[in-house]
Order: sequence, then C-alpha cells, then structure tokens
Amino acid sequence: MRKQLRFTGVGGQGVLLAGEILARAYVKAGKYGVQVGTYTSQVRGGPTKVDIILDDEPILYPYAVDGEIDFMLSVADKSYHLFKDGVKEGGIIVYEPNLVYPTEDDKAKWKMFPIEVITIAKEKVGNVITQSVVALAIATRMNNLDKDLVYEAMIETVPAKAVEINKKAFELGYQEAEEVLSKYS
Amino acid sequence: MPREIVSTGNQLAALAAIDAGCRFFGGYPITPSSEIAHEMSRLLPKVGGVFIQMEDEIAGISVALGASMSGVKSMTNTSGPGISLKSEQIGLAFMAEVPLVITNVMRGGPSTGLPTRPQQGDILQAQAPTHGDYQSITLCAGSLEECYTETVRAFNLAERFMTPVFVLLDETLGHMIGKAELPDKEEVEKNIVNRKVYEGDPKEYLPYAVGPDEPAVLNPFFKGYRYHITGLHHGPTGFPTEDAKICQELIDRLFNKILAHKDEIESYEEFMLDDADMAVIAYGSVSLAVKEAIKELRKEGIKVGLFRPITLWPSPEEKIDEVCKKFDKVLVTEMNKGQYFKEIQRASGRKAETFDTLFKANGRPISPAEIKAKLKEMASR
Repeated sequence: MRKQLRFTGVGGQGVLLAGEILARAYVKAGKYGVQVGTYTSQVRGGPTKVDIILDDEPILYPYAVDGEIDFMLSVADKSYHLFKDGVKEGGIIVYEPNLVYPTEDDKAKWKMFPIEVITIAKEKVGNVITQSVVALAIATRMNNLDKDLVYEAMIETVPAKAVEINKKAFELGYQEAEEVLSKYS
Repeated sequence: MPREIVSTGNQLAALAAIDAGCRFFGGYPITPSSEIAHEMSRLLPKVGGVFIQMEDEIAGISVALGASMSGVKSMTNTSGPGISLKSEQIGLAFMAEVPLVITNVMRGGPSTGLPTRPQQGDILQAQAPTHGDYQSITLCAGSLEECYTETVRAFNLAERFMTPVFVLLDETLGHMIGKAELPDKEEVEKNIVNRKVYEGDPKEYLPYAVGPDEPAVLNPFFKGYRYHITGLHHGPTGFPTEDAKICQELIDRLFNKILAHKDEIESYEEFMLDDADMAVIAYGSVSLAVKEAIKELRKEGIKVGLFRPITLWPSPEEKIDEVCKKFDKVLVTEMNKGQYFKEIQRASGRKAETFDTLFKANGRPISPAEIKAKLKEMASR
C-alpha cells in the first residue's frame, strides 16, 4: 500500500532528515521509500516541504500527489497554509500549536492534532535540532509504521555523537503522539 | 555483488566518479549541484585524489583541465549558470582534446533563474556550450541508478574520445533520496577505459597526427613527451598553424572522431513501446512521471509507450525517426519550451504540428496526472 507523507516548515529547520530516515527504514525492510524536498532560494525562512512516499512496489515519480497525501506535519504557519490542501480529506495533520494556526474549516476537513514539536525538542530533549527526529517519531506512530524499523534506521542515519540525544527525541515524540491520539480520538 | 544504496542522485554521481577512476575535482559550489562537490571533497582524499574549491567557476574548470593534461581523470561540476561561465574553457577542452567530465545539475534559467527548482533548460546549451564547430557528447540521467551509471560512462567516453563529456541531472534527480541498485564495483572497474598513451621515441611523438576519425593521443605532461597545447588551430605537434588544409582537417576530425563511432556512444531506453498505440518521447526526470502515467493508463486499457534518449548528443536520430514513423500520435514532453523537440523534428522530418507537446518552464515538475490527461485527450481523437 502506498503512503504519502509531507513534512513542511521553513528553510533551516532541518525537515529533510526525517524523510531520509523513513526512506531508509523502508528500503531496509525490502520495500521502497523515496523522499524529495522542495525549497526556495531563501537561505532561511522560505517555505519548505518534503514529500515522502513509502510503498511495497517501486516508486518512479518521487513527488506526492496533491489531494492524496495521508499525513502532514507542519511547524510553520506559512508553509502549513501553502501546502495543507495537498492532504486528502480525512487525512491526518499534526501541527506545532505555538507556530501554526489552523482555521475552523481545517478542523472539520482533516484530523488535526496539535503537538508542540519544537518545544519538546528544545525543552524536553534539550536541543532544538532534534525536532526532526521528534517529528519522525510522531509520523511513525500516527501512520502505524514499524517503530523498531524506523528507530534502527534513525540510529544508523544520525551522526554517531548525536545518537543518544536522538534516541531520547524519538521516545519522547512517540510518547507524545500516543498521548495525543488517546486524548483526541 | 550488485550494491543497494539509499542516496541522492548527486551523491551517486560523486560515487560514480570515484569508481570510474576520477582523482581530481576542481569547481565552485552552486545549487542544486553542490552536493556533488561536497561528496567529492569527502571521497577524493580517501583514495589519494585531490579536491580543490577554486575562487570561481572559471578557475574550477581551468584547474580540472590542467589536472587532466597531466593524465589524471578529472571532473568539474556545476549548474547552468556555471556552464555559462565555464564556456570559454569548455571550448579549449574541445579544441585541445582534453578529456573532462562536466556534471550539470539543471535548475531553472536563464541567468540565475530558479536556483532550487528543476528544469531541463540546458539541453541546447550542452549541445553548443561555446563558440565554434565541435561535436558534444551529452548524457542525461533518467533515474537514481543512471546518476551513477551515466557518470561512469562519461569518464570512459571522455578518455576514449579525448573530449569533454556532459552529464545532465536535474534538481529532482540530484536531490531526491531513494534506493538505487548499482552495478558491482569490480564490474565497473573491469570496464574502465583509459586514454591511449604513445610509447615510442619521444622525438617522434606527434600527438595530433592521428587518423581522420580518431582522437588525439595526448601523453600526460612531465613524463618526457613534449608537445604544445593551444586553443588555436594546430598541426601534428600541437603548435599553431593557419594552413587551410590542416585547419579543415582538424575541425572535421573533431566531428568525425565522435560521429564515426556513434555506436559506442548512443544509448536509449524503450519502455512498453512494442505493443503501444501512442508514443511519448521524454528524458531525464520527466521520464519517471511518464512511466508512472503509462502504467496507470494501461490499467485503463490505453496502450502507451516511452522512447527515452539517454545519450542526448549526438542524438539517436535513426531511432527517433523510427519511433516517429511508427507512431502517428507522439507526445513530446520536456521541462523547457521544447529544446529537444527541435532535434526530434529534425531527425524525423515531421513538422511540429503533427506532434502533441507538453512543455513546462516554471521550475515545477511535470506530474503523471498532467501527462495522463494529455494522453487521454490524444487517445480520444
């Protein structure tokens, strides 16, 4: 089954890493994963999206199809509004409530979950740079992906000196997603 | 053992260069190609090679040419605006017959254009990147695997034909991450081509005195074989001449050394073309969207096939002609205003209005849905 995921933020937030890890995890499992990012020529602050496609079958065209996206995670308001319409009706959107402001209509159209991705990374994990792995863990839980597989791909992908802190980031992100799911559903 | 690697197209191009024997990189970073340079800076020192980031694109290609003249397999890397800057030295490489691989990860143009977005705007630039008469070899990757295999092939062709060879990627292929199944490294190494070396008496060495369709035999510098290298028209020793006959023969040879050996250079893919009712001609990352569209349309009973040139220059003209004769309905789709379409018309002799076209030059990829819609409309006629 094909899954289409989209991470959106602004340039410099490091949203690329989560997609790379998911792609690696799927390939490790003998399946297919592709990630492609779209960004602007602004060094920082430009809207950024990363599309991730996961499938049992080979993937050719690497971009997600607007209107068919299963899951989106957004940590910046302007990218959220720019890219949200790509998510299919009834799809899941996780947003950072301190930075992203969905409309009332949005809440009717999609399953919306507020998670303080950046605050978790900054305050609970202790380094804002881990937000990418917090987001990865949230995406893993929200899409019912194989936790151990993604976790291992994460450990193999992040720099050796950052493994421990990212393990913490992953666990905290995963827990948070669990909590939010039980609270809102 | 074939290798399975999760990587970007840019990283695969760099890995290919190393596996093909490249040991020198000179260049200047530019989006969306910089990761090739970055990866080369990481990989080259590990194999005893040299990486230099120069002060600009022109200096980047200049040192790469110098390294090649000393016998080292060498590359430079850039995107369209960088090719514009390197254009003068590209001419020197054609004229003096210095092998060099030039990767161009295409972005939106002209000028600085759309730095972070894909386009196929440099197809004609790759055919004629500099002034004068010469024959370009240009390869165009259409998948992650081909970012690797076509870069390897470029090094072998550069050494075989003593000429600069272009490898075109685009932003999509350069930056996408996915699984690539690469050929076995020993297999790649077994097929490596090295330039010819003259081993006779140094006093009798005439690097440019070769057959009318053969490349020059340029020995590495500093090994006792002395000759002259110039961008001026030159004779057997490499020293300048304005002799009418020699000048004509030189330019003829720059063409013939490639055109007489097209069978060694030509490369294309036919995808589901055998039983098709309509054909698409596309190349590079656009072909990924086309293949996806074709697979979906076949589920609906619409039989379409793809013809994909991999070597763009010299073009597989006989094959293009064959496809355009076999199929009434041919769709040409490119991420530009129809640069290769001109070549397709030339090769087939068909007029522009007998084709269907889907061109886009706004830095956005052409989606399978757009291609499907176009093909459905064609099928309904």
